[in-house]
Amino acid sequence: MKREEIPSHLVELGIKFGATDVAANLIELDQTMIRFSNNEVAVSKNFREVMVNVFVMIERQRAGSTFSILSFKALERAIKKLVEMAKISPPADVYAPLPKGPFKYDPTLLMPPQVSFDQNELVSYVKEAIDGASKSGAKRVAGSLTSTNASTVLETSSQASAVQRRSSLEMSVRAFVSEVASGHSLSIAQSKRDFQPAEAGRRAGEIAKMALNPIEGQPGRCIALLGPMIFAHFVNQVGIQSSVFMVDTGQSFLIDKLGSRVASDKFTLIDDPTLMGTYGARAFDDEGVPTKRNIIVEKGILKTYLHNSTTAKKFRAETTANAGLIVPTPWNLVVEPRGKAFEEMLSGIDRGIYVTNNWYLRYQNYRKGDFSTIPRDGMFQIKNGQIANPVRNLRISDNMLKIFQKIRELSKERLWIKWWEVPIPTLAPYAIIEDLNFTKSTM
Amino acid sequence: MEDLTRLTLKTAEELGATYAEARFQSDIRESIVLKNGVPEVSVIEELKGFNVRVVFEKSLGFSSTNIVSKRTAKDAARRAVNIAKASANAIRKGVSMSGEKLGEGKVEIKPRIRFDCIDLNSKIQLLKEADKAAEESANEAKAKLPAHMFILDTIKTEKIVLNSDGANISSIIPRVALSVFLTAYHPQKGSAQRFFNLGEVAGWEGVEKWNLLKLLGEEAQSLSKTLMEARSPPEGEMDVVLGPEVIGIVCHESCGHPAEADRILGREAAQAGETYLKRDSLGMRVGSSVVNVVDDPTLPSSFGFYLYDEEGIKAGKRVLIKEGVVSEFLHNRETAAVFRVQSNAASRSVAYDREPIIRMANTFLEPGDYSKEELIEEVKHGIYIKNFMEWNIDDRRFHERYVGLEAYTIENGELKERVRNPVLEITTVGLWSAMDAVGKDLEFQAAYCGKGDPMQGIPVWTGGPHARLRKIRLGGAKA
Repeated sequence: MKREEIPSHLVELGIKFGATDVAANLIELDQTMIRFSNNEVAVSKNFREVMVNVFVMIERQRAGSTFSILSFKALERAIKKLVEMAKISPPADVYAPLPKGPFKYDPTLLMPPQVSFDQNELVSYVKEAIDGASKSGAKRVAGSLTSTNASTVLETSSQASAVQRRSSLEMSVRAFVSEVASGHSLSIAQSKRDFQPAEAGRRAGEIAKMALNPIEGQPGRCIALLGPMIFAHFVNQVGIQSSVFMVDTGQSFLIDKLGSRVASDKFTLIDDPTLMGTYGARAFDDEGVPTKRNIIVEKGILKTYLHNSTTAKKFRAETTANAGLIVPTPWNLVVEPRGKAFEEMLSGIDRGIYVTNNWYLRYQNYRKGDFSTIPRDGMFQIKNGQIANPVRNLRISDNMLKIFQKIRELSKERLWIKWWEVPIPTLAPYAIIEDLNFTKSTM
Repeated sequence: MEDLTRLTLKTAEELGATYAEARFQSDIRESIVLKNGVPEVSVIEELKGFNVRVVFEKSLGFSSTNIVSKRTAKDAARRAVNIAKASANAIRKGVSMSGEKLGEGKVEIKPRIRFDCIDLNSKIQLLKEADKAAEESANEAKAKLPAHMFILDTIKTEKIVLNSDGANISSIIPRVALSVFLTAYHPQKGSAQRFFNLGEVAGWEGVEKWNLLKLLGEEAQSLSKTLMEARSPPEGEMDVVLGPEVIGIVCHESCGHPAEADRILGREAAQAGETYLKRDSLGMRVGSSVVNVVDDPTLPSSFGFYLYDEEGIKAGKRVLIKEGVVSEFLHNRETAAVFRVQSNAASRSVAYDREPIIRMANTFLEPGDYSKEELIEEVKHGIYIKNFMEWNIDDRRFHERYVGLEAYTIENGELKERVRNPVLEITTVGLWSAMDAVGKDLEFQAAYCGKGDPMQGIPVWTGGPHARLRKIRLGGAKA
């Protein structure tokens, strides 16, 4: 049996053993990651794997499995065990049959061009990023380059059948001019054409150079200008917490907000996996439903939660093609731009703080949206419409809903962001927040 | 699998690696999810594969695969060497491994009650009963639990670690883990939330020991009382007594992470960050003389348990802070070679497809002489923070924040009213220097520590006794 035939074989076996519904996918991954620090490569890694995911339902009883392929006999044992597990599982609260195919998929979304795995070319990207940062004044440069080619073969017992290829290049680069003066930037792309490692290095180096000799920041509320990296992190919170699973488990500040204002009217958020040539583009979800463009927030109003077919039935909605068989998830978040350029936005702020990046965001209460997070890399005072002193050692301690409701302006420039702290690729602008709360440690 | 692991190692050596290490790892996890009292799904995850790590002309290469055959074993070795070769021209100092005495042998923790002795229905029934106990306790406190989720995992991890310097370690370790998320709600009072993990190296007996009905009942009751009764915390300077759960996270974030030698060298700079400590910080005072923080992978039944690390080094207790002074860093063989010391066995990996990197295991404040009551008796005006919800720390591990969940005022040596979300926002040295007394109790909590790229969430314990801080300004600095 060929590898790509395994999902359909597993579906057949699952039905034979007594399942009412089976979804099986086989993911083949070839990925290279080069991590670098102190201006040199620290480790180069290559991952090759073939992973099988199977989900079975006997109406409301359900079970899922992920496994490596050790042998075809082992596959048969695994699916048999899985169906047995479903048989003895107590029923869940709702049964929705897997969506009925066959479906028609956009062929260009299914088959993006593959990226090169030439090792020398990948190493040259790393050198470009380091050189770009160094030319901007960085003394030390660290980061990671990731090159991925993957394919997913999906079959369901409801006649969904498709093969998705996926390719991407990611460069995350952090530049240091001193121990406490750093800048971070990224380039993520689905193809070599859009990949700009040198530019990512240059931007990181420039922020780091501007951040040299920071002064202690002062706590209090003020106008904040957020760069695309930190704003994408906040936008990820809205995207992820719009999953109805998160709402249902109390892990969302969007609970009871459907149809209500959750953000300023300047904010429109779309989950758009149909955007050709972008990092998070994909043709179908884990139930085989063709993906679509979903407006999550339109001019500040929450328009939909993200659903799979089971959660849609439970909450009397339609699937948004965001399965996750258990947890619906956003694929490719896009914030609608507005008319002003970054410089114009900056010039309109008399006194404020410009934050380029952050890390370690944790909630005090997801349902309320109370949280804090720590700005890192360049952070600057804004005085009379211009970037002034670099500042350090502040924390953002605020409420996520209030932040989105206090968006004064969004830029026309946007950057694709995805890195360690931002798991969902997000096209994010600069954002002015009317009133953001900064706190600070006692010594 | 040992034959294939050995074949990988041999092939890497034949291809010119000056150091090679091969690891087979199998993680079999069974999970059940109970969401709002209803079984959501049962999951089996079987992740099996091997990896090889090589040094070629001072360049470090790593490859992994979950396709297990002689052909892929050789191919993994070839890929690791080739990728190291390709990067060799982007290396300046490069990598070497410290000379070490390496282990040989087998570590097997046998469960008293095997996982397959407990059927799925019994596991789900236990969670449902615990869930019911939680709801009843919330109701008694006049609150509701509208959203609550439990995820129960049983995990069996098998490893074979071989390297070209002679290490040969195999291990079989069972683990049990439970994640709990609770939301208490009242229409007029709003909501309060609690998240925590339980976990240890054990068979099903570990779950039985947790006494989930009692524990979840108490947790839900306390959370509901906090929602219903807590008032705003007092402001200004006061003494603070921290419970073991808070002490544990403080030890992990502000003692364990700063002591990781790879952070000191900048290897994690672009992701998990660096540290305020430097290569010459050993001997530096960072706390009062009552502060002794250690990391010990060998604690029996601990969530972060291991006896040999992924490089084959025998594990032992690491004394990170001794009497308030930085005493030891966490090393693998790569950083030990740079620092010209011996590795203290901190090299860990979470799966077959992850490189081993420096990690904590079980990090805790060592007990002192005080009872909890004595710590509180000596406080005239202060606050007791038993556990927490929100926390974070900057990426140099110096500015941190812990927001209490269950917390009480202390007046004239006695616990009084519940208070809501007291904020301890302070520096690492500020916190540890304010500690004047340490309890003689000792408790641990399970956690998954995140680090590395790709991210590796690795099981750890954090812990300690109760401890007291003097003259702390709650709520952070003022403008």
